[in-house]
Amino acid sequence: MGTHTLEIGQRPSVAELEELAFELRSKLLHLCGTYEGAVHIGGDLSAADIFTALFHYGLRVDPGDIANPARDRFVLSKGHAAVCMYIAMSMRGFFSYDGIVQTYGQLDSAYGMHPCKVQLPGVECSTGSLGHGLPLAVGMALSARHRGEDHRVVCLLGDGETGEGSVWEAAMAARSNRLGNLVAFIDRNRQLMTSFAEERVVFEPYPDKWRAFGWNVVETDGHDMQKLVDAIDALPATDSDRPTVVVAETVKGKGVDFMEHNLAWHAGSLGAADLERALASLESTRRKETV
Amino acid sequence: MPVTFTFGEFLGARSVIGTTLAELGDVHPNLWVITPDIGATLVEFRDKFPDRFLDVGLAEQVSVGIAAGLAYDGNIPVVSGMLPFLSMRALEQIRTDVCYPNLPVKIIGTHGGLVGNGGSTHYAVEDLSLMCSLTNMTVTSIGDPLMVGEILRQSMSMKGPLYIRLAVGKKDMVLYEPGQHDVRIGKGIVARQGTDATIFTHGTTVAQAIQAADQLAEDGRSIRVVDMFTLKPVDEALILECADETDGRFVVLEDHLAYGGLASRIADVLADRGVHLTAFERLGIPQVYAGFGEDEQLRDKHGYGLSATVAALRRVLAAA
Repeated sequence: MGTHTLEIGQRPSVAELEELAFELRSKLLHLCGTYEGAVHIGGDLSAADIFTALFHYGLRVDPGDIANPARDRFVLSKGHAAVCMYIAMSMRGFFSYDGIVQTYGQLDSAYGMHPCKVQLPGVECSTGSLGHGLPLAVGMALSARHRGEDHRVVCLLGDGETGEGSVWEAAMAARSNRLGNLVAFIDRNRQLMTSFAEERVVFEPYPDKWRAFGWNVVETDGHDMQKLVDAIDALPATDSDRPTVVVAETVKGKGVDFMEHNLAWHAGSLGAADLERALASLESTRRKETV
Repeated sequence: MPVTFTFGEFLGARSVIGTTLAELGDVHPNLWVITPDIGATLVEFRDKFPDRFLDVGLAEQVSVGIAAGLAYDGNIPVVSGMLPFLSMRALEQIRTDVCYPNLPVKIIGTHGGLVGNGGSTHYAVEDLSLMCSLTNMTVTSIGDPLMVGEILRQSMSMKGPLYIRLAVGKKDMVLYEPGQHDVRIGKGIVARQGTDATIFTHGTTVAQAIQAADQLAEDGRSIRVVDMFTLKPVDEALILECADETDGRFVVLEDHLAYGGLASRIADVLADRGVHLTAFERLGIPQVYAGFGEDEQLRDKHGYGLSATVAALRRVLAAA
């Protein structure tokens, strides 16, 4: 154990987490409605519940002490979901949402399409090129082990990016070094940028691939907050010897009917009319869930 | 570290890496060494600090990614391997994971240039061009094995990334008496004083340049030999000084593609500063995949061996 500790305080209930995920999606849509450039809205919406579960429940982090050595590290390997991470972090108190939405993508803003540690020290690392995050997370997990620290390193990947060979190099390195303090979440939305995944690349039997690499595999519904919380609660101790992957089945564009399963919404921008439609669709899913 | 070696003797740069890292591991408890299955260089460190040594197997990309992750967490990682693969297969990891956030990762390796008779899959001949193009990267190419230890020691306090190119690393000529020169990253070494022309070089060809200068000395010509072991940032002041003091006559010799390496670095400085030379010749590998053969045979075949170097010096000396 390191000398620093970071306690988990009062955690939100599942119902409160669901409300936070709704708010996250709503804020994403508003940004996508005001920013004229491309926002990776499809893969943001598929990961929104995972981001919520991590930043409001799973990760031991302190927005007031971003360099606390005892913090859990979060590596966004699918770096194109940066804006969803920025907003999730803002809702956890790291940054101001207004600062994000008012400056996103502009000259000298700390917030852009892919996260940059140099411009925004609150994020753990600079990512964006796919297949790079898991190797970084392995290095961080090794470092934690060597120092006898008990924090976790959590890495979020898209399933499409696991087509990159470097992911499997990292999977082998993590197992070989018995990194039970490493957790990968796969946002398994089954869409690449230009195709539905299984049409172009045969990923299945997907969880078995991770099992074959020696990982502890958890399969879950990435939009069921209770199940995400259960998966987080069931993570093995950080001094265990197997890395864990949570394969979370998701829907690209989740929560906005005209974006779900729609290749046109990998990235885009919403005009005022489409923003209204999108928000109305999101609101209707919320009502359904609370009935 | 052995100090009994002197000029002209041979010593394995590889063994210097191992002993130096083992020594530095005591001083720096956050020093890590990572290798993609080329660990023979590193046995001294591995045996002394097994918990900070990592052999990832045949996986260059993850070796650099892990190093970056370690560096993000406050460690000083050294990645050691064969440069043709580290510099090319892991190029994007070096650029994106190491250089972009400006992390103190050192990439050090062997097989720079046409060494080892491995064929073109195993020659790093584009590496310096690639590394010099990376923002934040410091790029070195070292011939003298004892210098390797000195540069590694200096690198411990560097904030950003460093690339160290060695030749084969098994049998390298000791070029300088220890303490003879002030060895500093970013500063060239004047290996031989001279006034008629300058030959700039780095790495394994420094010894050849000295030999060529010695041959010209028999004709009464005074050739300055500059070991420009740091290619980036290149020692601009020394280049300008040499242009002024050696009559604007330059030869650049390197075991690398003739375009993209040191010759291009020097040409950039001259063009940017508006310096007109009397004569400029570049000796290196032309745009060919070089084939098999011993190091010296390959240099001769591709036009940058000893006789070609002497001939180039004679041409720049004769230029009007």
